Amino acid sequence: MLSFIIRRLLLVIPMALLVVTVTWTLVRLAPGSFYSGEKTLPPAIEANIKKKYGLDKHWLEQYGLMMLNIIRLDFGDSLKYPDRNVNQIIRDHFPYSATVGILAYLLALALGLTAGIVAALKQNSAFDYGSMTFAMLGLSVPNFVLGPILVSVFSLTLYMFPPARFGGFMSLVLPVITLSAIYMAYIARLTRAGMLEVMRSDYIRTARAKGLSEKTVLLKHGLRGGIIPVVSFTGPALASLLAGTVVVEKVFAIPGLGNIFIQSVLNRDEPLILGIVAFLSILIMLFNLAVDISYGFLDPRIRYE
Amino acid sequence: MTENTQPIQGTSLWKDAWKRLLKNKLAVFGLIVLGIMVIAVLIGPAIIRWTTGFTADYIPSDVGIGELVASFPPSWQHPMGTDEAGRDLLARVLQGGRISLMVGIISTIVSLIVGVSYGAIAGYMGGKIDNVMMRFVDILYAIPYILIVIVLLSVFGGPNTPDWIKWLAELFGGAGNAGLSQIFLLFFALGLVSWLTMARVVRGQILSLKNQEFVLAARATGVSTLGIIFRHLVPNALGPVIVYATLTVPSVMLSEAFLSFLGLGVQAPYASWGSLAADGIKNIAIYPWQLIFPGVTMALTLFSLNFVGDGLRDALDPQTRKF
Amino acid sequence: MTRISFIQFRSILAIVVLASFLISCTTQATSRYWGQTKAPTEQVMRYVSGSEPESLDPQVPTGQPEARVLMAFYDGLVEYHPKTMDPIPAIAESWEPSPDGTEYTFHLRKNAKFSNGEPITAKDFVYTFRRALSPELAAQNAYLSYYIKYAEAYNSGKSFVRDTSGKFLLVKDLEEKKQTPEAEKSATPTIEPNNPVENPAKTEKIQADSNKPSVVETEFHKMINEPERVTVPGDEKSRTALLEKNPKLKAALEGKELVPVKGEDIGVEAVDDYTFRMKLIQPAPFFIGLLGHQFFRVVHGATVEKFGKDWTRPQNIVTSGAFKLSVHKPYDEIIAVKDPNYWDAANVRLERIEFYPLEEQTTMMNLYKAGAVDATYNHTVPAGWKSNVKQYENEYLNFAEVSIEYYTIAVNKPPMNNVKIRNAFSQAVNREALATFRKNALNPLIDFTPEGAFPKYEEIRKRVYDELLKKDGMTREQWQSQAFNPKRACEIFEEQGYKVREKREDGRCVLETDPSVKGAFPVAEVEILYNTSESNKSVAEFIQAQWKQNLGLTLPLKNQEWKTFLKVRKEVDYKGFGRAGWVGDYIDPFTFLNLFYGKTNDSSTGWHKPEYDKMLDDANKELDPDKRYEMLARAEYFLMKDQPVIPFLTQETNWIKKPYIKGFYPNPGTLHPWKFVYIEQDPNKWDTQVKNIMKNQDPWVEEQISRLMKTQEDFQKSRQAQETNTAKTE
Repeated sequence: MLSFIIRRLLLVIPMALLVVTVTWTLVRLAPGSFYSGEKTLPPAIEANIKKKYGLDKHWLEQYGLMMLNIIRLDFGDSLKYPDRNVNQIIRDHFPYSATVGILAYLLALALGLTAGIVAALKQNSAFDYGSMTFAMLGLSVPNFVLGPILVSVFSLTLYMFPPARFGGFMSLVLPVITLSAIYMAYIARLTRAGMLEVMRSDYIRTARAKGLSEKTVLLKHGLRGGIIPVVSFTGPALASLLAGTVVVEKVFAIPGLGNIFIQSVLNRDEPLILGIVAFLSILIMLFNLAVDISYGFLDPRIRYE
Repeated sequence: MTENTQPIQGTSLWKDAWKRLLKNKLAVFGLIVLGIMVIAVLIGPAIIRWTTGFTADYIPSDVGIGELVASFPPSWQHPMGTDEAGRDLLARVLQGGRISLMVGIISTIVSLIVGVSYGAIAGYMGGKIDNVMMRFVDILYAIPYILIVIVLLSVFGGPNTPDWIKWLAELFGGAGNAGLSQIFLLFFALGLVSWLTMARVVRGQILSLKNQEFVLAARATGVSTLGIIFRHLVPNALGPVIVYATLTVPSVMLSEAFLSFLGLGVQAPYASWGSLAADGIKNIAIYPWQLIFPGVTMALTLFSLNFVGDGLRDALDPQTRKF
Repeated sequence: MTRISFIQFRSILAIVVLASFLISCTTQATSRYWGQTKAPTEQVMRYVSGSEPESLDPQVPTGQPEARVLMAFYDGLVEYHPKTMDPIPAIAESWEPSPDGTEYTFHLRKNAKFSNGEPITAKDFVYTFRRALSPELAAQNAYLSYYIKYAEAYNSGKSFVRDTSGKFLLVKDLEEKKQTPEAEKSATPTIEPNNPVENPAKTEKIQADSNKPSVVETEFHKMINEPERVTVPGDEKSRTALLEKNPKLKAALEGKELVPVKGEDIGVEAVDDYTFRMKLIQPAPFFIGLLGHQFFRVVHGATVEKFGKDWTRPQNIVTSGAFKLSVHKPYDEIIAVKDPNYWDAANVRLERIEFYPLEEQTTMMNLYKAGAVDATYNHTVPAGWKSNVKQYENEYLNFAEVSIEYYTIAVNKPPMNNVKIRNAFSQAVNREALATFRKNALNPLIDFTPEGAFPKYEEIRKRVYDELLKKDGMTREQWQSQAFNPKRACEIFEEQGYKVREKREDGRCVLETDPSVKGAFPVAEVEILYNTSESNKSVAEFIQAQWKQNLGLTLPLKNQEWKTFLKVRKEVDYKGFGRAGWVGDYIDPFTFLNLFYGKTNDSSTGWHKPEYDKMLDDANKELDPDKRYEMLARAEYFLMKDQPVIPFLTQETNWIKKPYIKGFYPNPGTLHPWKFVYIEQDPNKWDTQVKNIMKNQDPWVEEQISRLMKTQEDFQKSRQAQETNTAKTE
């Protein structure tokens, strides 16, 4: 097991570099540059800018320098925001998206798992239909609709929570609810499906036949196999949640990484794009590794050769 | 391979399943709604045009000062009201349904075919193959999607569209005009990512199933690898697969709205349900009908889809009969 | 099953109830003010400033959002008038142009200080200008100061040419030798077509005049007033390329030494600690107005040198404006607090400004309604909200801007290479309906300069147009009817040989578009390109519908992401029409007309006419402002007759502020000098009926402005007196 983890961890670095290379190529292929604007710059000014940022060098040299910096974990300065360092930007803004993302996922997990398990155990009951309908509602109301509706009810009519901007617990309530709705729905439905599948499998029947209490059967055996779909889903979901969600960040004016990332792509801010992509790809790989490890704990029959 | 995917029990399982599906009232309700929706989006715009003369892009600015260019609440003339440009919302919702439903169907198919086979093969084969396959998925996850879209658009969307893309677009839709190749790119872009999470979900299920007794039994009796994967493992993981597939549809419809906003996909003046809802929410305080009608239509469709999905899941469950 | 469907029903009911609740609570807004309106007890203003500033270094960023914030932190030679944006004295108490208009002398006040207490002197301005233009800084705005002598040469890393005797090669030398019209062009490789060559005769005239007592003569002053030197690219490759093309210049360079243009060579000079002098390449009457731009605002040299690019961090920064930086949380807030060291601190009333860098309009509106912000920047009230927000007559500000909306035309591709067809398309758009749709209250636009921004110019232009129209056999009504005349548009198409399939009674028509029929309009060759944004989309849809209904042409719409769009439009890689908007840099029509100047101009149309360039050159050489406007108006007429663009609307400011924010005006650039802003606690003195805000006089603000203006006015008076005296003695 340990060697499996080490092997996977060692893989993270070359893979992140591969992702960065692909992204770098895409940035270079995309039309426009960070300084292109409504006004065309005089050629002399453009030349000054190119010289300042080393864009006048051969592309191979530029690529080499970029990779060298990345290996040293220094992504350099943003081009669009020249007084800010990419590492600094990630360090400053990741906590915002992480706070909102983790809280939202915890909320989604708590409510979604409970609803999914109960619904599966009481299949076709009123609770089953009720909670699944609710889950569907969370799914079919897009977050760009849910957010503004929550704001107009709770902030602008009842004046219970601030309508936007990050600051204190109260300001987190609405964005966390908005963000968690869709994940809650996913988790509830996946849990229900997984549980239904597992509760009918042979080993649960065996466990029941052994005379174990229903509670033990459910929590010790059923749940472990039943939440595998949720666990599979969690890896990528949590990684993207931590990196920030554009819509919620925009609606609630949260200075998270998600919006900064989208803007960096639209701005062709190469160092910032590469920095965030490298960071994000490492996150995704680590989360997926964690998921693969947890499979083994959840279901002892899953082994890695 | 298609032959292999035929379940062992032959047609009887699907026949049985269909029978059981029809007994599920919610699923039948869902089927009927979906059927009506498909028919409505296919022939609805033509009917509206024929009876009232409105089309999805008709802006009534004939009158000198344009007093008809405003958002009107629902009336007999405009059952869903109009948007700010005075366009008939019903016509727009029906026309938008074409795109949204198409997007949903395509990405579900991609996710079912590519995602399920990919995940199942990776999960069953295990070891190095699994490792390589899943690392590839990780990489696809990590590459910024929006950047791919921008590059795709600039390389294939502009006046410099290579001939082979035009040729492909022609193959798919008859005429190689700009709008069509954009739609083609949209499907490509959505297809590119819609199967990733599905692959991970299926792989997770297969990992947990592949050491069960029935698989060992099948292996012992000499069933081929592909046979084990597609005849034994996949049918047993079908529950989460169907649920996840139905979950993909709403999220894909919303991604479409985002991509259309960036310039990929549906081109103005036409809209999709997602983009109509996005427009509607901005004016919720003043013209609520701009959100409510597209929103409710979309929600109704997604609900129905889900009822059908749940019904299908129950109907296909090999062990349902025992309950 | 019945129970289940009841549950389904209940949840649907819940949505409906929620929705109706929303409707009921949002549409019945009958109170006097919008949302929570309570004046803060302290002098604290919370302002939504637009996207996150690219940098807090005034010489670096280019956008409006940065300008709004940086105006609080940095002071310049001049400040904008809060209503008109005309220059008013700031660190310069007074200034005077030389008789030929190419040299300005600024007299600085003696009590100006940086936020660290050090005095601001003319040397700091010299440092700021040299730094701003240094190629190492690579400032994108550098072109703004290319009017300063040798500024462009320094910024583009060029070199002077010096012979062994130490004499510099002059532009004049080359001209006199050659005596051909070509020579001027080839001999002045450094001068952009934009910046006409200075008249040497004039320069000599100043030298003759320079024995007047007011002109302090220095080494530098002599150097800068010498006839212009030739400059050649410092970079080997481009120099060789230039010399290849220009053998005469090559010969002149033979055996001479290249001396790189240094920061010390540009036309700015500290005559003494409180006198700053600036030499321009040509008279540029609008240049003083441009000096309020953040690019020209003063920075503290020692701090910049000490901390490098980190100098704008809150712990390092030294500012020169009425406010200093207290907190900077990117994408969240920038907090400016009053600077006690500021020279005019006694008259600054706001204690603190909180800038919120937000872009999402709905979010701003929500914050405003909840009373969490006091004002927003321009174009922030979403189209759908306008009719509702408009009711709040004490808060909604909608005035003309120096900014227009138009469509560019790719003029080199058929069928749009036909000027008549371009004009027909223009006439087939009902601009009034478009204005109604956009809820724009201004008149339809058929010219290229915005309505209401340059009143004086408009007056002169009317006169010039009447004369020119008469010559062309047109009446004023006919010219103006171009704002919407579908009948005429259809006729033009017919005259140009296109087949009209169907004519309607009201003058509209349906053109033949079937390519198999002779005379069909090639719809496949024309499309409407726009960049991704809600409002661009709705305008494009509207224009498309107009042409569909008035001409029977359905042109495809094409939407692109911003940077892609910029590239495609700039390279005129589109066919048909492209969306465009232009915001003036300064308050002068030239900032619009300049767009079509030169061979590689910024118009994104492919249009270029040497006659037009000449008209602008001549106008800018004219010193009499009225005559200059007249010449510019002729150029504009020439331009619009060729219709390389289809203007639609003058933009409106479209923003909101709480009534207790005073001294805050919807000026044409939405740039607010913060020292005139204050919070009024007494509701009786709050702003009401803001549609009159530009006419109403706020006693305190007026007093401040006249106090500041006084130094310049007194100075001008004393100068006049002096001149009349000398005239008498002579």
